[in-house]
Formats: sequence, structure tokens, C-alpha cells
Amino acid sequence: MRAARQQQSQGVGIMKEKVIRLNDEYGFGLSEEEIEIIAKQAEKANELFKQFDSVDLSGVMPVLTFNKMPRK
Amino acid sequence: MNDAESKELTISEISHQIRSGQISPIELTEFCLNKIKRLNTTINAFLTITEDQALAAAKVAEKEIRSGLYRGPLHGIPFSIKDNIATKGVRTTAGSKLLSEWKPDYDATVVARLKEAGAIILGKTNMSEWALGGTTINPYYGTTHNPWDLRRIAGGSSGGSGATVSSGMSMASIGTDSAQSVRNPASMCGIVGLKPTYGRISQFGQVAGSGGFSTNCIGILTKKVDDCALVLEAIAGYDPKDPLSAEEPVPKYSKDIKKHVKGIKVGVIGGYFDNLISNEVKNAFTEAIKTLTSLGMIMEEVSIPHMDLIPAVKVCTSRVENASEHLHYLRTRPSDYSPNVRNSYICALLIPASTYVTAQRVRRMICNEFDEALKKVNIIVAPTVPFPAPTIEECMQGFIEVDGKKIPWQDPRGGIDNLCAIPFNVTGLPALSVCCGFSRQGLPMGMQIAGSHFAESVVFQVAHAYERAAGWYKRHPELA
Repeated sequence: MRAARQQQSQGVGIMKEKVIRLNDEYGFGLSEEEIEIIAKQAEKANELFKQFDSVDLSGVMPVLTFNKMPRK
Repeated sequence: MNDAESKELTISEISHQIRSGQISPIELTEFCLNKIKRLNTTINAFLTITEDQALAAAKVAEKEIRSGLYRGPLHGIPFSIKDNIATKGVRTTAGSKLLSEWKPDYDATVVARLKEAGAIILGKTNMSEWALGGTTINPYYGTTHNPWDLRRIAGGSSGGSGATVSSGMSMASIGTDSAQSVRNPASMCGIVGLKPTYGRISQFGQVAGSGGFSTNCIGILTKKVDDCALVLEAIAGYDPKDPLSAEEPVPKYSKDIKKHVKGIKVGVIGGYFDNLISNEVKNAFTEAIKTLTSLGMIMEEVSIPHMDLIPAVKVCTSRVENASEHLHYLRTRPSDYSPNVRNSYICALLIPASTYVTAQRVRRMICNEFDEALKKVNIIVAPTVPFPAPTIEECMQGFIEVDGKKIPWQDPRGGIDNLCAIPFNVTGLPALSVCCGFSRQGLPMGMQIAGSHFAESVVFQVAHAYERAAGWYKRHPELA
């Protein structure tokens, strides 16, 4: 449990650096508090996307469009 | 026409009376406009009311019908349009501050097709800022209230559209649905909402950035299922202005709607939905399944092995697609977004391209699993929203009470209200929400009926048979 929390906190720290870089590059004018909020939100999303790691995707092509799908 | 009569009237019924001259389009339009004047200050469903244009269009419709030029069942029928769909010369805000003064110089294809069919546009409806979220609590234009209980949300993001139809201010509405946004307000307002097959209706003229392009559809909200079929017939079909619109021919949905449903195989997905829904929704859904069985349909449990990955696929796909549309304004006018919406888009810029592509590969697996399931059954049914409409206060506080437990409105999977609806945005399958009962507090709840790609006909048949058998459509909000 403690290890997971530590990992998460490290994740937020890395994400915070990314948000700061993005803020500088694009000039969003984010405050320190907003940077913190966005970093936490991004880290939570990151955790969610880790679910993809559990799937074997070898040979699976990405979805491109649905509009050419044949009528069933 | 009085209020009592108007509650019962639907497009399919009133169109005959318009054609025969028993009801004039002017009378019907004035009736709706009066209702808007009476109710909109309380409900806040319309952001812009186009009274003069509506009356002018109604006069033209009346003249045409009297001279024998009857355009079809939508001729003279009053509609409302969600405010992220372009209307020529009429303000189109997408619920944002950024576009608060924008008047497009063109009509969205769906609006152009409605006008060609003779429909009357009453105005533009309130929505969540940039269609993000299911509450229609808008920081710039106020909150839309649920006609069944004014203390509650009308759902969203097409909450204004849902409320106009439910309260009888308009006979139908056009919304957009990239996560639930037509079906959610339909469920919370006790009406019908259709998210068609991806590409069935042209998206040309929907404001960019108000729905991920690969999950979004323009959809329809009506009082009853046969009305929805009539509207889809008029607005569906290939559009050269939208390269993602489908070339599939448009069937005469309303013709086949009364076909018998005996023997139709109905799939129920185990697991995923059971863990999301409240006891009241569970009970209503169970009763609805009994009704489908009583109509001769055959229930079968189907399995979608990667169902639990749908929220992650949806969050990744929509956020990335939306953020790419907003990059310019995030850089040049960041203060014209509410903090939550702006933060959400900035957050999406941190998602690596490789994660987006991985999400599309997982999405392919999920689509294949649904295709396999739909080889065994004709349709799939599921609850629309996990709970009846929460109060506005609860949503503003960020927690809602479900079965005696306080749960957060948002979690990493996004809004908890959209989890039942998103499988059909991720897969592009058509899904229609129809009222399947009322809570102890008198709030409507919805059931989704989903089919294979371009199989709206069978979706309409099942929904129509269920609607007639269950009879929930006979209830109306007192306010209306």
C-alpha cells in the first residue's frame, strides 16, 4: 500500500514537470495550484490507461472509421 | 389546441392533422412559442428563441400545404436545436463563452435537411460547456432544470433539448452524443433519444471540439419512438460535406416499425452494468426485460470479455480528439474556458500518441467482441443511466447519493453517469433510450436498445413494441 502511494506520488511529480513544460511552451499562464490539479488529473488518467497493458494486442489493427462497415 | 391535447400529440399523429388542414402550422408554432414564454424562465432550456423566423417559416409552411405542396410528416413541426449545431444567422455558442457572439453563415446539414422537410426551428437549446459533462449546469448560460422536478438536472450534455421535448416546448429536438449526450437527457427527462450508427447522420456543421470526432453522432430526441423514426428518415444519409458520413441507403424506418417482434433475440451483457446501476434502475430494467419476454422475444446472456476496458478507451479517445480541436484557443484565449474544462483539455495534451493508438487497438478488440455477440442476438439491451436524475445541488457539490451511499460524480473513468452509454459510442453501434419506468420519487429512467451497424430498423421495432406494451409514455411532467 505504502509502495503504491509512493509510486503514485513519484508519478504526480513527473507529471507536474510535464505540465510545467507544457505551460511554458504554450503559454497557458497556469498558476502553481492549477499545475498541481492538472498533474494529479493526468496521473489518474495515466493509471487508467495502464489497463491496456493487460491486453495482448499482437496483430490487432487500430479502429480507423466505422462508416465503411457492412450492414449486418 | 389546449395543453391537455398537446401532451398526447406526437409528430406521427399531428402530421396527419396538419396535412388535412385540421391544425395549422402557425397555430402549432404559436402554441409552442407561448409555452416557451411560460416555461423557459423556469426551465432555462432555450438559449436563443427565434420567434420571428419560426413564425415566418410557419406561414410559408401553411401556404405551401394549402396549395398542395406537402413536404412530408415534418412539414410544420416545431423543433429545437442544440446550441453546438450551426444555424445560419442564429447565434451558436456550443455552450461556451468563446463563441458567445458567433452567428454562422451556414446551416449544419442536419438543419438544412430539416428545413427542406418543412420543419420549423424554434431556437437553440442549452448544453454543457463544449458538450463536456452530463449535467447542463453551464457556467455562462445557467442550469437547465428537469421538467419532472425542477430541483434536479435534466441530464446532458443535450439537457436543454431533453427538457424542451419533455415539457412540450418543442415536438422534437436535435442533439449530439459523444458519450451519452442524447440518451442521458432522454432517460432523465422520460423521452426517447437515439444515437444512430456512426456516420448515419452527417456531422457537418457541428461545432468542432464539442465531441470527439470518432465517437460523436448527431442524435434525435422525441416523445415517442415512431416520431424518432420519422425524423431519422428525413435527416439521415450520405453528405459530401462530411467525409465520415455513410453511403448506406436510408430505409423507410417508419414503415417497418410495427413489424412483429416475436422471436427476436435480445442480448443482455452480464457483469459490467450490474456493478454500476442503482437498485431502482436495476428493478426497472428487470421489469422491462420481463415485458420484452412477454412480447415473445428471447433473452440470452452475451459476453463481451474486454467490456471493463471501455471507459479507458473512451476517456483516451475523446480527450485527445477534443484537445486537438482546442489547442489554438487554449493558447490564445485560455480565460474564455471555465477552469474545469480548460484543465481537462490541457490534461489531454499529456496523453502520448502511442497511448491513443493503443486505445484504438483495444477498441478494435471490443468492436469485434460486440460484432460476435450480435451474430448470436439481434439486439442488446442495457440501462441508459445508472440512476435517476440527481439534484442540481448534489452535482454542484460533486457527490450524489445512490442507494444510501455518497459517491463522487467524477472518477478517473470520467462522469459516472455515462458509463452505461459509452459502449455504444466506442463501438459506433446504434442505441436508443426509451423510458422503462419511474423511481419512487417519480423520476423517469431509461433502457437502451442497441443493434448492429445500420440496424436502426430493428431497434425501432423493438423500442416501439416495448413502448406500447409498457405505456410509460402516457405519463407527463405536471409542469408541462
